[in-house]
Amino acid sequence: MLNPTTPVRAGASAVPYGHAIGSEKWRGTELAHLLQGKIRLLFEDGLGLVDFHIANRTCILYISEADIVAGNAFKRRLVQFRKACNLKGIVIVEKTRLSDQYLPPVQTFVVLELGMVLLPVANKSEAAQLLINLVLERSKERTSNPFIGKKSCQFSSTNILSTVQTIPGVGKVTALQLLQHFPSIHQLANASHSQLEAVVGHGTASNVHAFFTRT
Amino acid sequence: TNDLSFRSTAIQPVSIVLADSREIASGPEVISCLKTVHKVKVEVCPLGGCDYIVSNRLAVERKSLSDFSSGVNRSKLVERVKNLQNLFERVCLIVEKDRVKPGETSRLFQRTKYYDSTLSALTSAGVQILFSSSQEETAGLLKELMQLEQRKRTAITVPTQVTGNKQHALRFYLSIPDVSYIAALNLCHHFQSVKQMSGSSVDAIAKRAQVSRQKAEEIYRYVHHVFEAEMLQTRH
Repeated sequence: MLNPTTPVRAGASAVPYGHAIGSEKWRGTELAHLLQGKIRLLFEDGLGLVDFHIANRTCILYISEADIVAGNAFKRRLVQFRKACNLKGIVIVEKTRLSDQYLPPVQTFVVLELGMVLLPVANKSEAAQLLINLVLERSKERTSNPFIGKKSCQFSSTNILSTVQTIPGVGKVTALQLLQHFPSIHQLANASHSQLEAVVGHGTASNVHAFFTRT
Repeated sequence: TNDLSFRSTAIQPVSIVLADSREIASGPEVISCLKTVHKVKVEVCPLGGCDYIVSNRLAVERKSLSDFSSGVNRSKLVERVKNLQNLFERVCLIVEKDRVKPGETSRLFQRTKYYDSTLSALTSAGVQILFSSSQEETAGLLKELMQLEQRKRTAITVPTQVTGNKQHALRFYLSIPDVSYIAALNLCHHFQSVKQMSGSSVDAIAKRAQVSRQKAEEIYRYVHHVFEAEMLQTRH
């Protein structure tokens, strides 16, 4: 059962892709109008502190210019949200030339103190564009996000060869000779002076041995 | 108690930020403001792939608004951010308003679909985004980030200067794939020798390099990786 003090909607973690669940208070507004047709927007009562729920357990909290100028009530709302749930919060803040000066402390509070995301917009139409992008982005496969990539952590022998070449006095030819006898950095580091000497001669052996043991 | 008094004197946070050498030219006000207004020690180093390192785990990339919002730079941004994500546990991007040169009028910022979709993609990839209106404000943000990291006990604590033979060791550690400048500095100062490091366990590497266990495993595997001459890539 929902009541007006419910900070967030129950079951908010399961918003379908391409959808947003908006708080009833946005029904009929300019923003709702701009969103309609671009994304599937549904309205519900009792979303509590949240303005929109979107996919991937993400919540949008909208802070208008009036909220910011009015004082600290919006801060209490954000703190309450943060304490109430572990959903991801994105705070959309209206920022015009008039409220420019208010942004830095709000940003410090939202991003650095609360660890939430803050995205400023200049007006409702920018807010709509941003919301549409957030909804669509979270509807895509994660693989289509260029910033989320599988990391290829295949070490190549080429890497090892250049690492060995950072040892003073060791060029490519010497590095190859060393690696043919001591094929890993661990083995090379543990080679004795005489073992090294048998491969690369006295001078280089001293350099390599000194490098591993004295630096 | 004695324990508390020890703590307050022994763990005096030293405020250090590493700045890439290129920032001297592209962000002179950021650096001078950090030093003079915020009393932060700024060490300029060749950081390669990143603009600022504010703790053992956090890298900060500074982008001008015009650069950031232009789709032409997309692949460059993607490559840069992904590289930072490979190197650091946390990545923060500061989008800074362009400086208006005397005699110029400030250009009106046109918000595009590209801009919004880039912000969306970055936030869902876990990249922290901060907006700044000037180099001075960026300096303030860097200082706040650094203080936050100090409270999380991830602040930079090693000496940032490397002298003598240790410079060779630093170069060696930096050649290990995906080892950041600060991790290499930590390796340099926290191991007596490269031999000692190469014989260490994953846990010891994580602790001394101040890196995640995952990163320590990567380093460990690299050190033990067996070289095969047949696998050498030929450069075209």
